[in-house]
Amino acid sequence: MSNTRRNFLEALGALTVGAVSMAGSSPAHAAAPEIKPSTHRWAMVVDLAKCIGCQACTVSCIHENAAPEDSFRTIVSTYEVEEAGATAMVMLPRLCNHCANAPCIPVCPVGATWQREDGIVVVDSNKCVGCAYCVQACPYDARFINADTQKADKCTFCAHRVEAGLLPACVESCVGGARIFGDLSDPTSTVSRLVATGETKVLRPEFGTAPHVFYLGLDPRLADKVDGEPTLWQPQHREAHL
Amino acid sequence: MNVLEVINVTREVTWLPWAVQYFFLIGISVACLLMSLPGALTAHNLPGRFTFLAVIGALTCGIVAPVALLADLHQPGRFWRFYTSPNLRSWMAWGAFFIPVYLGFLMLFAWGILSPLLARSAAPQGSWLARTHHILALRDDRAHWLVVAGGAGAALFGLLVFLYTGMELMVVRARPLWATPYLPLQLASTSFIGAAGLVIVLNRLIGDYEQSADAAARGWLVASVLATMTLGMAWFLIGLLGLDAAHAKALRTVAQFRSWQLTAAWAAAATVILLALVVTRPARLTWLAGLVALHAAWMFRWTVFIGGQTVPKTGAGLYAYNLPLGHEGLLGIAGTFGLWLALLIVITSFLPQPTAEPDTSLVPAE
Repeated sequence: MSNTRRNFLEALGALTVGAVSMAGSSPAHAAAPEIKPSTHRWAMVVDLAKCIGCQACTVSCIHENAAPEDSFRTIVSTYEVEEAGATAMVMLPRLCNHCANAPCIPVCPVGATWQREDGIVVVDSNKCVGCAYCVQACPYDARFINADTQKADKCTFCAHRVEAGLLPACVESCVGGARIFGDLSDPTSTVSRLVATGETKVLRPEFGTAPHVFYLGLDPRLADKVDGEPTLWQPQHREAHL
Repeated sequence: MNVLEVINVTREVTWLPWAVQYFFLIGISVACLLMSLPGALTAHNLPGRFTFLAVIGALTCGIVAPVALLADLHQPGRFWRFYTSPNLRSWMAWGAFFIPVYLGFLMLFAWGILSPLLARSAAPQGSWLARTHHILALRDDRAHWLVVAGGAGAALFGLLVFLYTGMELMVVRARPLWATPYLPLQLASTSFIGAAGLVIVLNRLIGDYEQSADAAARGWLVASVLATMTLGMAWFLIGLLGLDAAHAKALRTVAQFRSWQLTAAWAAAATVILLALVVTRPARLTWLAGLVALHAAWMFRWTVFIGGQTVPKTGAGLYAYNLPLGHEGLLGIAGTFGLWLALLIVITSFLPQPTAEPDTSLVPAE
C-alpha cells in the first residue's frame, strides 16, 4: 500500500470519527456547518516507469464518471519509440492537469468553469452553455463536449470521491501504483516529497500553465506535441447516428 | 528518435461548421456595412446601386449570422446566461453584447437609408404593401438623422465585432494556427473579399443590373485581395524564416501534411485567379469573380476553424474530420444559406426596387 493510500485511509478514519461526533452536535450546527477554506492543494505524480499501459485507469474512470462512448477523461497514450537501434514502449497517462494558471477558466464566457480552493478545476454543468471555448483553450486536449449532456467535460480528480476521503478512481485502479495522488500543501505527503526532489516534469511547460500533474521519467521530447507517426482509431458514433 | 503513436484518443471538432457560417456571415455583414457608409452618408436622397446592394448584404447576413452562432452552442437554450452571468475576461462574453447592439444600429441605419425607397411607393389608401411603406417611410430629415446615427453606431460596433471575433481566436495559445496577430486582420480582409463578391452576385440577382456597382465592388475586391495576399505572405515568411518562434511552430505543425499543402495551393490559386479575374475583367465573367470571392472568404474560415481543430495539441499527426451529413455538418451549412436566401427574398420582395440612377457612392481607385 502506498503512503498516499495509507494517508487517505487515515483521513477516512478521521472523517468517520468526525461524522460520529457531528451526530451528537445540535441540529442548528448540523444544518449550518461552518465552512472553512480548504487547506489542501490536490496534485498527482505519475511515475512513468511503473505504468504498464494496461488502461485500467481509463476503464475505471469511464465507469466512475459515466463518460460517454468515444470520450475519455483520462487515457494512457502509448508510443513505440525507436532510438539507437533499440525499441521500447513508452506510456504517457494524460488527464486534466488542474493547472494553477488554467487557460480554460478565463475564456469561459459565463464563468461556468473555475478552480476550487483545493486546486481542482471544475465545470458547473448547470451554467455551462456548451460553447466549447474551454475545449479550444486547453493546451492538453483534456476537455471535450460530453455527447450525452452536451456540456464541457473533463477530469475532476474524482472530486466526489476525494471529498469522501477516497482516492480518484484512476489512482485506485492503477495496478502498478504509477499514479500517486495527494496534498501538495502537506509537506509530508508523497506527492510533496516527490515534487520536492526536483525530478518531476510537467507537460508543455512553455505554456506557463503551472500544471499540477507531474511526471517522473518524462522524456522532454514527449512533453510537447508528439512528433511521430499516428495510428489513431477514429470514433464512429456520429456516422452510426446518421 | 522515431515515434509510432500506438494508442491515443481523437478529440472531435467542437466548433462545428455552424461557427464557419457565423464568422462568414457576420464578417460579410460588417464589411458590407462599412463599404456602404461612404455612399450612404453622401447620398442626398435615394442610395446608389452599390450602396443599396451593400446594405441588403449587411442586413441579410447580419440577421442570419447569430442564428448560426446560436446553433453552434451545444446548449442553445442557455444563451441567456451570456447576459445573466457574463465573464468579462472572455472575448466571447463581450461578443454577446456587441452583436445585438451592432444589429440594432444596423437596422436603424438600413431603415434610414431605405426610407426614401419606401416613400416612393407609399400610399395611405393603396394596397397593404403601399400602406406598410407609408407607415415605415420617414421624413427626409429623420431618415438622414437615422443614417448618420445608425451608421456611426453600426460602424463602431461592427468594428468591435471584427475585434472580438479576431481576438477570440488569437488568444487561444493552445492552437498555434490561431494564436497570431495576423488572424484578426486576415479575417477582416477576407470579409471584405466576401462582401465585395456578394455585391457582385446581388447585382445580378436583385433588380436592374448596373455596371457602376460592379466597378465599385471590383475596387474593394482588388484592395482586399492585395491586403489578404500581403498578410498571408507575411505570416508564411515569418514562420518559414523562423523570425518568430510561435509562427515557425504553427507552420511546422501543418506544413508536412499533404492535406495542408493542398489547402495552401488551393488558397494561392483562389487568390491569384480572383485577382486575375478582377484586374483583366474578361467579358461576362465578373459574376465568376463574385462567386470565387465568396468561396475564398468561406474557405478561409473553413480552413481556420475546421482545419485548425484537426491539429492535435499533444498527439501525433492530424485528427481526421469527415463532414457529417446532418445538422452538425452539411445540413447546417445548407440550412444557413437557405435561411439567408429566404430572408433575401422576403426583404427584396418587400422593398421597392431602386431605378437606375447615377451612383454617387465613392468608388475606390482600381
